Amino acid sequence: MLRRLAALLVLGVVPASAETSDISAILDGHVMPGYQTLAAQAEGLASAAQEDCRPDAPGLRTAYHAAFDAWVGVSHLRFGPSETEDRAFALAFWPDSRGATPRAVRDLIVQSDPVADTLAGFQTVSIAARGFYALEFMLFDPAFVQAGEGAYRCGLVQVMSADIAANAQAILTGWEGGYADLMRQAGANETFRDRNEAIRQIFTALSTGLEFTAQTRLGRPMGTFERPRPMRAEARRSGRSLRHVMLSLLATRDLTALLSDGDPDLDAAFARALDLAERMDDPVFAGVSTPQGRFEVEALQSAIDDIRRKVAQDLGPRLGIAAGFNALDGD
Amino acid sequence: MQSRVLLPCALAVGLGSVAAVQAEPAKSDVLDTYADIAAAKFEDSLISARALQDAVNTLIATPSAEALQAAKAAWIAARVPYQQSEVYRFGNAIVDDWEGKVNAWPLDEGLIDYVDASYGGPSDENAFSVLNVVANASFALSGDPVDAAQITPVLLAETLHEADGIEANVATGYHAVEFLLWGQDLNGHGPGAGGRPWTDYAPGAACTGGNCDRRAEYLRAATDLLVSDLDWMAAQWVDGGAARAQLMTDETAGIAAILTGMGSLSYGEQAGERMRLGLMLNDPEEEHDCFSDNTHNSHYYNGIGIQNVYLGEYVRIDGTLVSGPSLSDLVTATDPALDTEMRGALSTTVMALGRIKTAAEAGFAYDMMLERGNTAGEALIMGGVEGLIDQTRSIERVVAVLGADAIEFEGSDSLDNPSAVFE
Repeated sequence: MLRRLAALLVLGVVPASAETSDISAILDGHVMPGYQTLAAQAEGLASAAQEDCRPDAPGLRTAYHAAFDAWVGVSHLRFGPSETEDRAFALAFWPDSRGATPRAVRDLIVQSDPVADTLAGFQTVSIAARGFYALEFMLFDPAFVQAGEGAYRCGLVQVMSADIAANAQAILTGWEGGYADLMRQAGANETFRDRNEAIRQIFTALSTGLEFTAQTRLGRPMGTFERPRPMRAEARRSGRSLRHVMLSLLATRDLTALLSDGDPDLDAAFARALDLAERMDDPVFAGVSTPQGRFEVEALQSAIDDIRRKVAQDLGPRLGIAAGFNALDGD
Repeated sequence: MQSRVLLPCALAVGLGSVAAVQAEPAKSDVLDTYADIAAAKFEDSLISARALQDAVNTLIATPSAEALQAAKAAWIAARVPYQQSEVYRFGNAIVDDWEGKVNAWPLDEGLIDYVDASYGGPSDENAFSVLNVVANASFALSGDPVDAAQITPVLLAETLHEADGIEANVATGYHAVEFLLWGQDLNGHGPGAGGRPWTDYAPGAACTGGNCDRRAEYLRAATDLLVSDLDWMAAQWVDGGAARAQLMTDETAGIAAILTGMGSLSYGEQAGERMRLGLMLNDPEEEHDCFSDNTHNSHYYNGIGIQNVYLGEYVRIDGTLVSGPSLSDLVTATDPALDTEMRGALSTTVMALGRIKTAAEAGFAYDMMLERGNTAGEALIMGGVEGLIDQTRSIERVVAVLGADAIEFEGSDSLDNPSAVFE
């Protein structure tokens, strides 16, 4: 206690009268339900693929969308069990600026690579050939739905789905089997030496999730004014680009409410961004090439940047923390 | 001033040994050491790039297998100080804004010179991935005709680099020079680097690969540009230089810059983008120094660079030591246990990166480590990744203990006004 006080005084920082966020409420109301939904929907996807593996099978497509929705709802929670054994990377390798996913999936199909015959074998392949974005090629890309042998394609769709289900279950098991307790019992373990470390982890996830949505989900297709890049829109083949922005905003809004004790100003900022997104009639951001379409996407991006600013400069100080390092810090 | 008053407090919390207690250094002195080490690293990078330039000029004047080998050796040596300088990148916008000119990666090397058929044609992402400037004296770029009859530093820097807004169009820097010296590494997951023959620079009928004179012109232009870019950066860190001046404008922000550089390189860049991604993709193209098979050194010297910035001790390429009051001293004065933890984490990482280097030098190439199902290689690389992730947690603790996170509250520069940061 003394030591901490000394440090604060040395730096001339006023000890923050930090608000308390309820870690258990965040876990029970946000994290655990999110990963439970993902595990259940991913299991549904695996079953649907077993029943009918044809790319246009309605049951398979419905299950794919439901499971992908569930993933986007937790895609900001990239720490702990999701990072163990590359699970989240293998669920969702995107962006893919070098086209590794189509290349890796094509290689499997062209060679009828027997590595995909078993789940254990498939779990050793490049993450680019695994997860929701690889499966999207198999279900929605005309060049892939007819490539190679039908039986191999069917097996690949099934093993991709089973792999997604296994990963989702492994993440949930990690949370239920100890990681959530590490956060609840922050201060009594080395992973989280005090409450602030657990809150900082959650806060970092929130700010990274918002950054990813603004800079990557929107920023990549926007490109520059001279050179818009609509083909870079996330999951455009399945028509999900805008949907991902909205789902991630809903999820981070929920987390923000729990972290901020229902701060109305922050919630209103989310409402503004969601309202802009709902009024857009451009599911895959094809409009970034037109002045009006671009204007709409820019407005949405700046609304999310406004949330990010409030989170960093208003919520952070109130909690007495700043975001830690994240995976987007590099290039 | 405050630190002296508070020293008894630090004593009162019961340190293990009185000998471990040090007077807290002034932050300005810590920043001086940090800037001195930057100046030394960039000057060393410049000196070794000039040696590379000499070797390249010899290769071009009198091409031979020996001259090519000498140029390669000079390139490998030049990477030693440069990779240690990368810890300055993310904390200092002046470095980050410049870095793309000298170390951009990965690259679509078909932009520069001939490539193997397996490389493929233009991609959805990059229409110029097989432009081959060496073979083409004129071409169109985004609709505009380009006269490349003379391959000059200006052509590379202002027209070709990041052509069409594509980052993979890397026309300049270490990796462009590396490709021109080694050529593509076509060994896949097998051992061995790129096998460009010296005759790619031979005169007249002995020339292989075509356009040997233009290839030499490209190599000279890229090397000259590398030297001039490093010269510029070295000047930013000497007394009165812009980077040093910026660092000193706000002491707490300066300390935060050191930690930001350490943490961002550790986590997002090295552990993530450079190491774990390549492993998860099983892709030898994801090697950082893929043409020369020097990736193990590239990673190792990144790790050493992070460590020596914290310790405030850098061994120059002539063997002299640059040292002074360090971030480690600053942490020790506030929280000696955390300093011990931070030092331990950095050492563990350097040890893990050292294992990769040792194995690679003994013949287990980094390419081989990346291969699907290679459990020994995976364990080696993940050892480095885990060390880097672990040290990031300690860096975050240092940020919190030193109050450097207060900087964050004042606003993220990139959010508020991207251009205002370093005016």
